[in-house]
Amino acid sequence: MTQSVSVSVLEIGRIARGRRRRLTLAVLVTLVAFLFALTLTVGQSVTPISDVVRVLLGERVEGASFLVGTLRLPRALLSLLAGLSFGLGGVVFQIMLRNPLASPDIIGITSGASAAAVFAIVVLSVSGPVVSVMAVVAGLAVALLVYVLAARNGVAGTRLVLVGIGIAAMLHSAIAFVLSTASAWNLQEAMRWMTGSVNGAQLADVAPSLLALILFGGLLFSQHRELDVLRLGDDTAAALGVNNARTRITVVLGAVGMIATATAVAGPIAFVSFLSGPIAARIVGNGGSLLIPSALVGAVLTLAGDYAGQFLLPGRYPVGVVTGALGAPYLLYLIVRVNRSGRSL
Amino acid sequence: MTAHLGQALTVSRLSAGYGETDILHTLDLEVPPGKITVIVGANASGKSTLLRTMSRLLKPNRGHVLLDGKSIHQMPTRDLARKVGLLPQSPIAPEGIPVDDLVRRGRHPHRSLFSSWTRQDEAAVESALTATRTLDLAERPVDELSGGQRQRVWIAMALAQETNILLLDEPTTFLDINHQVEILDLLVDLNRARGTTVVMVLHDLNLGARYADHLVALANGQIHIAGTPEQVLTEETVRAVFGVPSCILTDPTSGRPMMMPIGRHRMLDGIDAAEGSAQ
Repeated sequence: MTQSVSVSVLEIGRIARGRRRRLTLAVLVTLVAFLFALTLTVGQSVTPISDVVRVLLGERVEGASFLVGTLRLPRALLSLLAGLSFGLGGVVFQIMLRNPLASPDIIGITSGASAAAVFAIVVLSVSGPVVSVMAVVAGLAVALLVYVLAARNGVAGTRLVLVGIGIAAMLHSAIAFVLSTASAWNLQEAMRWMTGSVNGAQLADVAPSLLALILFGGLLFSQHRELDVLRLGDDTAAALGVNNARTRITVVLGAVGMIATATAVAGPIAFVSFLSGPIAARIVGNGGSLLIPSALVGAVLTLAGDYAGQFLLPGRYPVGVVTGALGAPYLLYLIVRVNRSGRSL
Repeated sequence: MTAHLGQALTVSRLSAGYGETDILHTLDLEVPPGKITVIVGANASGKSTLLRTMSRLLKPNRGHVLLDGKSIHQMPTRDLARKVGLLPQSPIAPEGIPVDDLVRRGRHPHRSLFSSWTRQDEAAVESALTATRTLDLAERPVDELSGGQRQRVWIAMALAQETNILLLDEPTTFLDINHQVEILDLLVDLNRARGTTVVMVLHDLNLGARYADHLVALANGQIHIAGTPEQVLTEETVRAVFGVPSCILTDPTSGRPMMMPIGRHRMLDGIDAAEGSAQ
């Protein structure tokens, strides 16, 4: 008798948790949708929602077609896609290495992609998918380099982070060097490759990011249960039947692929990868899967950061400056805290 | 108890270690099915290495670990995880995770990418929580529990895996004595109720002798002696394995042998460490 009662209590708990989770996701999706709509409608001037919808449906609307269709839509789409990519790609790294500091933007992978992209565009004068491919290859190369330099009887978290920070610093000076030698040097471009920016986004930029998000996102979601189990430690995961090596390779490929593709267009938008996972963990709060929540938080950060940088702050700043200002204090806090306790996501 | 007849775990001429250096040297071991096997030994004797190799966390340099005659290092990871469970020394609980959610992760090897949560999964989790008396903790976050409760929850997770063999790496470390006894009693319950073959590394020789059906003493990466606690726990073994002279008594509570080490101080007249330690 007591048995059957407890079964239902157990089930009720599970169902209630599922409901809470769906509610949390719904709130995040609504927030993303709101910020997306805000970016489309309210700028220096306000475009009526009806006009925005008509433009989206492909109609020509006097005054709104250029503003919404050409300026705001690509910008909003790129912010959305880059945010999702950085959020998702970041958290899987943090989970896999069980260290919030081991996010791709801290350990140099994003910088590698950015350096490759700026080199391709400024020095080789190529554009389009070639830039994305070079960024992905460079991102993977940096991941491999960090791994090889940090590996010694298995990869220890702290050493990997320190090696990554060193490599990121080198790549930053490489980016600065390429930019300074370029004849077409301008501030907009420089800001994009140093801190990330969606200024001057075009619809053509959106396609590769969307494709990468679908392709590499699928790869990551094929491992979402493994990632959930990996949070219990490598040994426990292996004991539960996770093929750690295969999961690692798949996750690195998926995460680097989507992050590098987004970087090839929007630059290394500062700290979005780094911040999204921990914020999502706070919001979800109960050890539930962080993949979708982190992607959504990434989108919120990027859309809100870009909007704030354009319209809410005195002067205009690219999105990376705003997210960077948010991320830096958290980075300091983590570095101080991690030395005391080894806890992670 | 026919269920575990076909679940024999054997170690055959096993050499293993970290990198090129062997910690275990051509070691042979047969784990008696349906019994509790306790592995004891000094630090660096290779007891954790043995358990890690038996659970495939470590690849052998030479030799085999066999389950029903097949090398576990050649089985698909998921298949093995349905047959052999392992509780590692320091598993990590994600912040804020509730007890039942953690235990549910024990079902991982039984699920595929798209399979949804089944009645059978739910039943396994519920039975694991009941067996470890953690059902009333089900909603609590794991990080708020006491050490003993937390260890019971981790054991529940390994039980939800529904394996016939359960390996545990020092499951009583860092626990107070009351919780140590509680955990070991729980493992005996599981062994009796489910016929689960239990293999564990223990630090405490006396608790090991009390709870083991089969006691294995390791020294220098080899089995010094294995057998019943009475056969294994002798002055000779303690000296060879731990390098300390001792006095073997009968535990008045369990009737099993127990060991008192002999030191240089605080000894009664007639008990002489020098005499014992002259090796």
